[in-house]
Amino acid sequence: MGRENFHRILNETQQDVLRMGSLVEEAINRAVDALGRSDVALADDILRFDDIIDDLNVRIETNCLNLLALQQPMASDLRTIAAMLDIVIDLERIGDHACDIAQITKSLAEEPPLKPLIDIPRMAAKAREMLRESLDAFANHDAAIAHLVPQKDDEVDRLYRAVFQELIGFMAHDPKAINRGSNLILVALYLERIADHATNICERVVYMVEGVPKKLKRSVVEINRAVAHSDTLLNPS
Amino acid sequence: MTIGAFLAAAGLAALVAARRRTPAKQEPAAVVELPQPPSESSRRMAALLEALPAGVIIVAPDGRIAAVNASAASMFGIAPERAIGRALIESVRSYELDRRVTAALASGIEESSELTFIAATERRLHVATRAVNRGDGRREALVVAVDRTRVIELETMRRDFVSNVSHELRSPLTAIKIMTETLQDGADPAASKEFLENIARETDRMIALVEDLLDLARLESGRLDLRFDSVDLSALVRDAVRSQTIRASKLGIRLDAVTPSDGAAIAGDRDMLTQVVVNLLDNALRNTPSGGAITARVSSNGSGVAVDVEDTGIGIASDALPHVFERFYVVDRSRAKSKGGTGLGLAIVKHIVEAHGGSVDAQSELGRGSLFRCSFGPAVRR
Repeated sequence: MGRENFHRILNETQQDVLRMGSLVEEAINRAVDALGRSDVALADDILRFDDIIDDLNVRIETNCLNLLALQQPMASDLRTIAAMLDIVIDLERIGDHACDIAQITKSLAEEPPLKPLIDIPRMAAKAREMLRESLDAFANHDAAIAHLVPQKDDEVDRLYRAVFQELIGFMAHDPKAINRGSNLILVALYLERIADHATNICERVVYMVEGVPKKLKRSVVEINRAVAHSDTLLNPS
Repeated sequence: MTIGAFLAAAGLAALVAARRRTPAKQEPAAVVELPQPPSESSRRMAALLEALPAGVIIVAPDGRIAAVNASAASMFGIAPERAIGRALIESVRSYELDRRVTAALASGIEESSELTFIAATERRLHVATRAVNRGDGRREALVVAVDRTRVIELETMRRDFVSNVSHELRSPLTAIKIMTETLQDGADPAASKEFLENIARETDRMIALVEDLLDLARLESGRLDLRFDSVDLSALVRDAVRSQTIRASKLGIRLDAVTPSDGAAIAGDRDMLTQVVVNLLDNALRNTPSGGAITARVSSNGSGVAVDVEDTGIGIASDALPHVFERFYVVDRSRAKSKGGTGLGLAIVKHIVEAHGGSVDAQSELGRGSLFRCSFGPAVRR
């Protein structure tokens, strides 16, 4: 493999990462859309989509390993390949979370909606925005954007806490709401995790561009506090 | 590179290709490398493409963007100067579009169908991909995108409206039919009396809905004849409050009017403005629990006159607040059913106030209450 060939495959692999990113971004969008409309057919589509995502994942990993094994890349090229190997893991997990949400849509399809979804679509929009910007940072080798994106995680965490507390309230009030409520809490948790994966991608981009591994700002979801709050709702003294 | 620059370059490339086909002796290579001014026709074509409302992207055989017109740049949220020369997926983050363009370049497969593109906002596009043979055995891909977002939004609104109206009319009709059939089969006097009262109530609800629908249709079509007169909003609000006093008292709600003693007159249609205040009071009465209070207030300053209806009711969540003036928007459908209301009252308020050159606004806090404000232009001398 000549250097020209090396750079061609490296470029194509970077484009595959963006293709995979585009697919998972769309999967999040469709998953939350299907949940809001109890659309089982759309949920099934997302599950089928996942096969394409997995195929791309395998292709990217194979290309990266081939480039590493056959070309012994150094410096920036080496960091780009290392970053891609990490980024696809995050993208693959995001795709899995979209499938998890699709499965919940299917399992709840027969039940009436607990409430109109308002904060969950907002969480999804914010998490998607973070993902898109993290991939912009990757596509443009832009560490400045990568540093900014994780700051948006605070908003996702805030929405997560709001959804969590509201749903706990519903379930405390009406035990029949427990199945739907607990599943919607899982959806919110998946979206919160998606935002964290976007932060991971930004960390990889910063490493790729600056050559220094950095832990970017990430607010901690205060699950313990939320659980403590739910205890007071469920067991009022 | 804009479309103009691209076509100019494309014209030059064609010239270069033509000259390269001629024997080298007659056409020295140095000549073809001289910058050639774009021809008049390519400049015109470039200007036309740039002005097209449809988005156009040209993708070179190697998958890199060769040209983007202004509409495509806006639709896909890209800066042409940064996108040119980059792979399509690096600038337009859509797996589906990338797949179609790859199919056009590799196999000449052309497609024409809807595509949802999500960037800062979600856009519904109709995208056609075409494979264009360059004459040298390679293909370029032409992407033509038409933004259908607004059209689809309007279609959805129309569908929702028809579905809402059908639902709102069917519910009372079903109830009436069941009760009528029961009465036909024979029922004891007490049950008969209750059923007849229910039928009368359901019929009233349907009449109110149909009247609201007709009002709304007239308001939205602009066919409403407003009879402008000098209307004292203070007196009008006091009258409207008086008309609702008995209902408020039955519900255990305190209802007050606070109006300036010297009046506040605007130019308007008295009946329509009365409907505004009555609708706002009706909305407040349906959303305020027993023991609460509603205040209708008129205030006036140099810049305008405002009518406020404030309640200590259940309040509206901040995410629902921007939608309360939409047709059939109901914050809590299960509650609304038991409290009546057509779901059109606030939409009518908004249309009437806007027909008077005014504006409406709603502020609220969950569990604390809501404030609806209608702002009009300056008071007129009476």
